[in-house]
Amino acid sequence: MVNYFNKIWASRHFWFHLTLSDLRSRWRRSFFGVFWTIIQPLGMTLLLAFVFSRLFNTDITLYAPYILSGIITWEFIGATTTGGSLSFVQADAYIKQCRHPLAIYTLRTVLGSMIVLMMSSIPLFCWALVVTPQHFNASWLAALTIYPILALIAWPLSTLLAYIGVRFRDVPHALGLVLQAVYFVSPVFFEAKMFKQGGLDAFVDYNPIYHVLQLLRAPILEGQWPTLSNYIFSLGAAVIFALLAVLVGRKSERKVIFYL
Amino acid sequence: MNDNYISLKSVNLHYASLAYKERSLKSLLGGLLKSGKSRPVVEDIHALKNISLEIRQGERVGLLGHNGAGKSTLLKTVAGLYPISSGELMVKGQVRSLFDLSLGFEPDASGRENILYRGLLLGLSPVFMRKKEEEIVEFAGLGKFIDYPIKTYSAGMQVRLAFAISTAVGGDILLLDEVIGAGDANFMAKANLRITSLIEQSEILVLASHDFGALTSLCERGLVFHYGELIFDGEISDSILYYKKTNGLGL
Repeated sequence: MVNYFNKIWASRHFWFHLTLSDLRSRWRRSFFGVFWTIIQPLGMTLLLAFVFSRLFNTDITLYAPYILSGIITWEFIGATTTGGSLSFVQADAYIKQCRHPLAIYTLRTVLGSMIVLMMSSIPLFCWALVVTPQHFNASWLAALTIYPILALIAWPLSTLLAYIGVRFRDVPHALGLVLQAVYFVSPVFFEAKMFKQGGLDAFVDYNPIYHVLQLLRAPILEGQWPTLSNYIFSLGAAVIFALLAVLVGRKSERKVIFYL
Repeated sequence: MNDNYISLKSVNLHYASLAYKERSLKSLLGGLLKSGKSRPVVEDIHALKNISLEIRQGERVGLLGHNGAGKSTLLKTVAGLYPISSGELMVKGQVRSLFDLSLGFEPDASGRENILYRGLLLGLSPVFMRKKEEEIVEFAGLGKFIDYPIKTYSAGMQVRLAFAISTAVGGDILLLDEVIGAGDANFMAKANLRITSLIEQSEILVLASHDFGALTSLCERGLVFHYGELIFDGEISDSILYYKKTNGLGL
């Protein structure tokens, strides 16, 4: 295991440059380029916030950052699962030529999405600072923990999906459906209290997505520290996915090349 | 004891037939429902059968065999790409392999960027690649196209670039699958020189080829493969004769 991580570290130049190359080709030849990562979720947020604040009679200036935090995190989850499941298939030429640990190819996907997430959360911090400056305190430091924790969840999860995806090419299609379902039962756009009012407490209390989002939302939107259970659920998800990924990887890592 | 070597002890390798049979969930479920009578049976391919051999420091080995005999599989196994199903494989030394050359470019990135990525793929450091870059650009001889995205390249140009990068550094153990035959006559001459110098630098050469001329001039020892089995191991000239005899070729 230690050996495996040593190899990942040894090939760091390779996967790091692949990540940068992904980002560069994503923004190549577009006028706004990298700013699209900021413009796109922001535009979507304004639209949704406008409609929802009318529908639910909430204050748009407070509801908008809630939606924005949901959109950018959801974007990250979608990109790392759907994109992650294709990581090995996409890297087939590399896998067939050089023996690097396969986890670097999902790391490439996760890292790319992570950089996008970080960029697109800049307006979130700005918005909160301007609209609710009274919430700015030491707890904001906790908001930063969402990045490493999300990466710790997404990396093993996308590795796991990539193993399945290389065997069954149906995975990205099926994931589209699953993600849609998860999205509807998670407090991504709708406030957690709406779920509770509807008697759907379980979808909030036992939903890792809710807890991960709280790492960001509690400090930024309310100026409060995330709770211990937020961290337990988030890290618990990371541990479970990591164990599964190791278990599956141990059995199938060497065989992946036959399926490409 | 700094000697490089390759050692195989009763190595078997099977390609998982599952990879070709059940490509989707549908065919997996379909297979459960249907009784297997109408479907063609796809067996695991036994690509290397009980191979034992030792290659020591300084040896130049040629691999002979019909298409599908197991030459490339052996090379990829030694390179550590394929998992062996049983036996023992030990390789000591830095392996440099040249096969599937035109694979593995990032199509949207420029030739120059791809030089860096491919160098990193081979495990080299960015600093080293920057130093080598000009030399590679020079060798590939693509002129201004080096700053264009790879997707605008013709197949020949891609191979030239790939060749220039992959051969920029040598290794202790050099694995070659067919002598590279790409590019125009001018480039071929340069490429041959380059390969020869790479081979001279390497401690061990394993070359799979159908070109008897190249085999005789480059190798001393020959291994003949036949349907996954190693059927002859000896002098290169004897191996060529043996190979011709087993495959019914005129002498």
